[in-house]
Amino acid sequence: MSVTLPAEFSDLQPLVKWAIPTEYERMKVRRFATSEELKAFYDVMLARMPAVLETLDSFPLNEIPASHSSLMHMAMSLAEVAPHVELYKLDPNVPYAFQEDRLMGPEMGIADD
Amino acid sequence: MNAEPDMKFHRRFDLPFDPIPAAAYTSQEYYNREIETIFKKDWLWLARDEEIPNAGDYKVKRLGFANTAIILIRGKDGKVRGFHNICRHRGNKVITETGGEETFGSNRAAVVMCRFHGWVYNAEGKLVEVPEREKFPNCFSKDDNGLIPVPTDVWEGFIFINLNPTPEKTLTEFLGPVIEHYEGFPFGELSEVRTYYAEIKSNWKVGMDAFMEGYHVPTIHAGSFPGLTNYWQGDITIQGDHRSIAFYTDGVNPETPVGTLANSIFRSSIALERDTSFELPKLVNPDRSPFWGFEQMTVFPQTLIHVGHGLWFTHVFWPVTQDTCLWEGKYFLPKPKTNSQRWAQHYATLLQRNAWLEDTATMEDTQTALKSGVLDKVNLQDEEIMLRHQYEVIKRRVGSLEDVTGEIA
Repeated sequence: MSVTLPAEFSDLQPLVKWAIPTEYERMKVRRFATSEELKAFYDVMLARMPAVLETLDSFPLNEIPASHSSLMHMAMSLAEVAPHVELYKLDPNVPYAFQEDRLMGPEMGIADD
Repeated sequence: MNAEPDMKFHRRFDLPFDPIPAAAYTSQEYYNREIETIFKKDWLWLARDEEIPNAGDYKVKRLGFANTAIILIRGKDGKVRGFHNICRHRGNKVITETGGEETFGSNRAAVVMCRFHGWVYNAEGKLVEVPEREKFPNCFSKDDNGLIPVPTDVWEGFIFINLNPTPEKTLTEFLGPVIEHYEGFPFGELSEVRTYYAEIKSNWKVGMDAFMEGYHVPTIHAGSFPGLTNYWQGDITIQGDHRSIAFYTDGVNPETPVGTLANSIFRSSIALERDTSFELPKLVNPDRSPFWGFEQMTVFPQTLIHVGHGLWFTHVFWPVTQDTCLWEGKYFLPKPKTNSQRWAQHYATLLQRNAWLEDTATMEDTQTALKSGVLDKVNLQDEEIMLRHQYEVIKRRVGSLEDVTGEIA
């Protein structure tokens, strides 16, 4: 699967493994990532968030064109990863938690486009 | 001589202090009695209005403890009715439960058809079509073979059912003071929801217990809610079999780049700076304290409804067996207006999801200990008064453990 980002965000291209449409998959990729991977994605993505959000807000709610949906998916991945960098000392799992792979939810499998 | 602990809340509501027997969480007989005398008698919350907004929309919800599933279908008259998902021909499921615990669908004509032999029922439950009707005996009547109805009623968009065909109380009587307590809270407007669930190997009460006190917050939530370590409880009310408690705190999570960014776009977390301009019902945070975090209402037996500043969330613990339950957590926010608000709300929802993973982490270990036979009782402190009241209500409804297990013996 090749994911292409809008030209002005080509600097994020090395991190497109985080352009993941669903919460369920984002959670899984986060759990199997290393601390270093989490931090690397977090640092780069955080710096670009003002521009990312401004671009996403140039489209009406829930009408992000396919050309830009990867940006939304990467932003959602940042929301998934951020607590692990900011609160959980880079632990890829939620510490002292219920087994994460047993958590289900109808919205978890729906693409956040 | 030991000084009696203060136990001011317990004293205020005249509740006993003694430990709770472990067997209340593990006894098959006690569980069976809970199902028969509580879950098959009380009103149970099954759905929100917004889940089935249009005529012909339906939700099928499994109730494993009762070996049934309930169809909730909205009729052309706008009314939601409940039926057992059982075909009157030979007992097949009318709607195939492709979604497992919850199945959603819609039929423009507001009818449902059994896939076994094509019997068709309308949203009033009436049997309207039987293929090869002429081959049934003359004594067979379509009028006598509608879907089996389940008493269904709605409060503030919460759709309840009652497995007792002739409930002892109306939903209004059952909820009692809860109705006035939450009057004016805009549940229906805060309808952006994410649902999480898991089957947990613990008694349903172990699950409820873990959410009914604030004592665990500084330790269990040190990861996700490090700012809420200084908390206190207040505004305790006992409302028949239901009860409420408020959680106050003078802290919020530390400023972090993403947390702060998200909350600057949309205030949607109980652990971050809250939107205190949000108007609450007058009985909620009655003193309008700036430290008020949220309030929890136990709608007996299995539902916890929490209201906060511009948000609300729920937990439900469905019994499955005496040592298994199904947990459902739902987090409700206002509909976002922009894509960045969607992102900001998602951050807050995930933080809450992770906190719930911290909460649910304890339940299976607790059940294992209770089943070990090593632990014969559990101890409660004064601020665990919600658990105490839950146990006392169950005892009043079901009988004491000795009564139940003694009768069986």
